[in-house]
Amino acid sequence: MGQVMQDINWDEMTDEQLDVMERKIAARYMKIFPLGIIIWGFANTLIWLSLWPLVFMDILSLWIAFPIAVLNVTLAYLPSHDAQHSIIARKGQKLRWLNELLGHVSLIPFVAPFRYLRYTHFEHHNHANDPVLDPDFDVHAKDRAEFFKQAILSRQPANGTKKDRYVEALERTGNSHVMLEAALIRVSYMLILYGLAWSGYAIEAALLWWLPLQLAQVYIPYYLSWKPHHPAEEMGRYRDTASFKSHLGNIGSSGMQYHVVHHLYPRIPLMHTPAAFRELRPILLARGCDLRGL
Amino acid sequence: MFPLNEVRFPVISKVLGWVFAPIVFALAFLVPLIAQSLTALDVSIAGIPNIVIGLIVGGGLGLMAHFRGSWIWVK
Repeated sequence: MGQVMQDINWDEMTDEQLDVMERKIAARYMKIFPLGIIIWGFANTLIWLSLWPLVFMDILSLWIAFPIAVLNVTLAYLPSHDAQHSIIARKGQKLRWLNELLGHVSLIPFVAPFRYLRYTHFEHHNHANDPVLDPDFDVHAKDRAEFFKQAILSRQPANGTKKDRYVEALERTGNSHVMLEAALIRVSYMLILYGLAWSGYAIEAALLWWLPLQLAQVYIPYYLSWKPHHPAEEMGRYRDTASFKSHLGNIGSSGMQYHVVHHLYPRIPLMHTPAAFRELRPILLARGCDLRGL
Repeated sequence: MFPLNEVRFPVISKVLGWVFAPIVFALAFLVPLIAQSLTALDVSIAGIPNIVIGLIVGGGLGLMAHFRGSWIWVK
């Protein structure tokens, strides 16, 4: 297959021929069962939960548990992201329950509601880079320094009174009901933090949950939203997302170097986007995608 | 169908507003965090109980966040 692909003159192919080739390649990857991300999601939450009794019982030092918790909270989003796209199982399929369970359970350390993220994320896919309709548009900034500045300032109470793009997206799509779930999760988190703090476990609560969450809430929008869509000036199937080379590599950037594949085929499992990208690369170039040297 | 948006959300919004209010966060989380951190570091300032230091520093930050709208002054 590799030799055949190399011998093809991509520039001479029509859009229809490219489309057929592209879909054929993508279809093979969409059929792969994403066992890795299922294990990742459940194991990650389990490890994070186990840190609490281990630290409380002085079996594990808080200073060892802290970086593990940072990793856990940061790694919590992506398994749910595969579940948001029903990659494990679609509605009506036998393992649908597993898809939904993974979506909810993996997000526990990240204190985020699964369905709320799913519906708003679909709007992001439908309107990527649209200044009005893309719920993630606020994340865009002219450069990295501006992104981090914005990430800090947007978290200040004065900016919390602005109408939330996520809430707007939910209202627009008739999914406002999931806000109750979102509110309950956030309130529970705050009450647990307060309870732990006044029970003498404020440092543990800060280092196992609060601070890791603050860090993850900057890292995740940076790599999952800002970087692959930067400069966010173009819309359209082959232009709204780019690939990029990360200083932290593909693993360090949560697999986002190949985010362009995800936007074209959201049902390809995260762990298989690098292989799919390598196969699709000549087609993506022929389509005019911005691959930034990858 | 229960009119969730009209009846429950105002209540939820009020609860949320209270739970997420900067001054509540400061008193419920930052004050004990500062006090317990000082104790863990074995720091004592002029014999003042650490919880009072926590209350002064954490409460001060909470007041700044409440009135100025920022935990770090700039906004």
